[in-house]
Amino acid sequence: MSAVWRAARAALRRRKVQSAALGIVVFSSTLAAMVSLGLIEASSGPFDRAFARQHGAHVTAVFDPAAVSAAQLARTARRPGVQAVAGPFGQTTLTVPDGDPNLAPGPLTVVGRGDPGGPVDRINLWAGRWATRPGEIVLNRPDDPPIFGQDLGLALTFTGGSTFTVVGLASTVSQTAQAWVSPGQMAALRPASLQVLYRFTDAATDTRIRTGLATAVADLPAGSLLAAQSSLTLKRDHGRGASAYLPFLAAFGILALVVAILIVSHVVSGAVVAGWRNIGVLKSLGFTPNQVVSVYLAMVLVPTVIASLAAVAVGGLAAHPLLRTVSQGVGDADLATGLSPWVYAVTLPGVPAVVILAALIPALRAHRLPAALAIGAGGASRTGRGRRVQRRLSGARLPRSVSLGLGLPFARPARSLMTLTAVALGVTAVTLATGLSSTMIAYGQASQRAGLVHTLIHAGQPHTGQTVPQHGDAEIETLLRGLPGAHHVTAVTWMELHLAGYPQPVRAQFLRGDWAATSQTVIHGRRPTGPGEAVATSPFLDKRGLRIGDRLTVTHNGTQTPLVIVGQTMDGHPDMIQADWRTLSGLAPDRKATQYEVRLTPGTDIGTYNNAVKTADPGLFPSAAPQVNTDTVAVIGAATTLTLLLGTVAALGVFNTVVLTTRERRRDLGMLKSIGMTPRQVTTMVVTSMAALGTAGGLLGIPVGVVAHHLTIVAMTGAAGIVLPPSMTDVWHIPALALLVTAGALIAVLGALIPARSAARLTIATVLHGE
Amino acid sequence: MTTRDSSGQAVVRLEAVHKEYGTTKALDAVTLQIRAGEAVAVMGPSGCGKSTLLNMVAGLDRPTSGTVTVHGQNLGELTETGLALFRRRRIGMIFQFFNLLDDLPALDNVALAAQLTGSTARQARARALELLDELGVADRRDVYPAALSGGERQRVAVARALMNRPALLLADEPTGALDSRAGEQVMDLLMDLNQIGQTLMIVTHDPQLATRCASRLIEFADGTVVAENNLERTP
Repeated sequence: MSAVWRAARAALRRRKVQSAALGIVVFSSTLAAMVSLGLIEASSGPFDRAFARQHGAHVTAVFDPAAVSAAQLARTARRPGVQAVAGPFGQTTLTVPDGDPNLAPGPLTVVGRGDPGGPVDRINLWAGRWATRPGEIVLNRPDDPPIFGQDLGLALTFTGGSTFTVVGLASTVSQTAQAWVSPGQMAALRPASLQVLYRFTDAATDTRIRTGLATAVADLPAGSLLAAQSSLTLKRDHGRGASAYLPFLAAFGILALVVAILIVSHVVSGAVVAGWRNIGVLKSLGFTPNQVVSVYLAMVLVPTVIASLAAVAVGGLAAHPLLRTVSQGVGDADLATGLSPWVYAVTLPGVPAVVILAALIPALRAHRLPAALAIGAGGASRTGRGRRVQRRLSGARLPRSVSLGLGLPFARPARSLMTLTAVALGVTAVTLATGLSSTMIAYGQASQRAGLVHTLIHAGQPHTGQTVPQHGDAEIETLLRGLPGAHHVTAVTWMELHLAGYPQPVRAQFLRGDWAATSQTVIHGRRPTGPGEAVATSPFLDKRGLRIGDRLTVTHNGTQTPLVIVGQTMDGHPDMIQADWRTLSGLAPDRKATQYEVRLTPGTDIGTYNNAVKTADPGLFPSAAPQVNTDTVAVIGAATTLTLLLGTVAALGVFNTVVLTTRERRRDLGMLKSIGMTPRQVTTMVVTSMAALGTAGGLLGIPVGVVAHHLTIVAMTGAAGIVLPPSMTDVWHIPALALLVTAGALIAVLGALIPARSAARLTIATVLHGE
Repeated sequence: MTTRDSSGQAVVRLEAVHKEYGTTKALDAVTLQIRAGEAVAVMGPSGCGKSTLLNMVAGLDRPTSGTVTVHGQNLGELTETGLALFRRRRIGMIFQFFNLLDDLPALDNVALAAQLTGSTARQARARALELLDELGVADRRDVYPAALSGGERQRVAVARALMNRPALLLADEPTGALDSRAGEQVMDLLMDLNQIGQTLMIVTHDPQLATRCASRLIEFADGTVVAENNLERTP
């Protein structure tokens, strides 16, 4: 065994606590680094990655089967610039009737496809099996078993009476269909069109995609191409939902990475500086400077390598569910692919590299130091740094243990600065997370109308085989109001309207009754108070260049009615308006409500009320309204996990500082105990020293966290196309800020407590007579 | 400086004190007394247990068996906090390597002992200055330990030890790290203290220190008292 290795092993044995602390810090930091790199990866081009993985379609083209044959379409695969083709697949539209309990009412695009694979659009069949027989259907659902897994096995009845059983659940980033059936079943449904999926050799821009498609279909009869959907359009639409969360993911990822690197550097350089004295001893024994450096690198690398390997193994397992949760929150579980190999490739050598670098700088300084100086360098500061502060504190009207503790950080200003930065970043993370949580909870509750609507009651529809209500529309509303516990009742129906001057239809929600008490937050303007008034979402107005006060004309079955936009709602749907029922009376006087929303009086049991509804009219189908927004829960969950991780890493940084400081100051601690300092006073002194840094870290970290919160919210709302009212963004109040200051102190105190108590138990006799 | 009552009552009483570290016996059935106003020197070869004995008396360590009573208090009955409070009120300690806090000037090092008992900074500094003046180092009150000579440091350490008017002053090789001239000064100081009634227990290798400062010599070997002699102090 070489002398270097022998000395390194001896150093490791002598510094068990410090080696363990280093191992824990490296473990936590590696874990944080892996998760943060995973988050950064998840937040950078998730659509592109999922698109590449599924060999997404650059263009989903729909052709008229009366104008072009399948053979002609197949020949387009050989056109210049076409990389791959899938199809032609039969495509048709089934209609989901109003009031369907499982699917949103309206058209459902169905494609006949023999299997989910192929050269283009490799569909992710995440539950069940592919549809192979008549009467079987596969639904397009996000890969989220807890929420959508229950759809498997459902029997679906569409307008016209056709019935299907859901045999599989699948998702596609190309959004080529809302459901799939077997080609045989499609033939029986008589496809209205043919779908062909193209991948081009150059699809970087809208123009190139248009050129690629034009080249591919150049030989086809004119007018045979009915519609085409570009992947770039899909990507932009996808951005509306997913991009909202990406700034949040990126912010946390970068924060975690910085904290991890900082703490590892702090701990390692501290460990080597603490060993300078021993470096001097080794030199005096005849170790060459290079051998000494090798000893100290080996000393820090052994726990580092062990901890890194363990963390990479644990991180690989732990990061996937976290990223999956986050991706579900982002709205597309397909984006969760686990950690990419590059994350392992970067982290595994990366953290030890940071350790080597952090160790090398002080070790090289020791390398240059003469042995005698190195021997003298390990003790407490003798240069008088911070003496002025100590002197002032010694005259302060504070318990002496407290004033001594307040002065301790000034003895090692560089180390204290590192600790301060670690705590400040920890507090920044806590501030950002609590701010985002507050905003997200408020947004989630408002968008979910938590507390405003407790139960949703569907009126049974005959075409779906449901029992029809015994009461008429107005009678149902009266009935619901009369049941015990009802506080507010709103009748609702949806209708597709055409907006004069705009090609795309809009979706209008008409409300009757107490909708001022049950509907969404209006962030600008006011709610409609009579016929001819509507509120619209922010993206609706942006998309059409409209403002509050602008006048519109809507049409339904040839009947026109004017509308004035009187308010702007918070939601992000780009084609949605809300209007009073009296507006509907002018467009479709016979229209009935398909759903009733009920807000209950405080203390009323939702189940009891729903049972009363069912008893009063078996044709009514009540269900408790969700009070929790799943996206919000996912984001808050991720923020909490990362905050705990960052808080722990920051506390470990403090722990390390205290271990180093108390080791260096053993003699001083022993002397203080010998002149009557009680164990509690020792603990108070050491904890105070870190609590002071923690409080300072809190005061520094809070403004950074508040700014980070503001920037993240601006980026999130901008990406999602929503506008939040100030009540949701101005989440900082004096009590909350005061609590956050204590978060810094808490991180510091938690990190300091164990080594402080250990210092309090120091055996004085050993310390004082061991010189 | 405060004078002491030399009534002859036992300030320190050890009865059948044993101390073992694993299989090593550091103290073996030690029984001894130190009366108020006495100056006792404990001498013996390295590793004989004399520092362990000092630790027992100071309440820095606990015996494996036997009782240690100082100023009427059985130290075995005290908790760690109780021992700290006991040391604060009853014991003053002087160390070979002074053990001053490097970040505090001489005055604040001395005042520290009183501040720990709850004295205000003003009161503590006034008392500390008084002691530094009596020990001849008042002019060095604002100097940090690193800039003090060995003798000055030990005088500051003595001042700190006397700060709370201890019943017993314990000195562990107080001249061990000093040159001969500084050692002489410290010896004179200890002798002066004893002459005005301060009870002293000195652990030393230095026969000159023992004969000059102590009125009684306890010889230690293999963890036990092997001889006890009253001394005529040499001038």
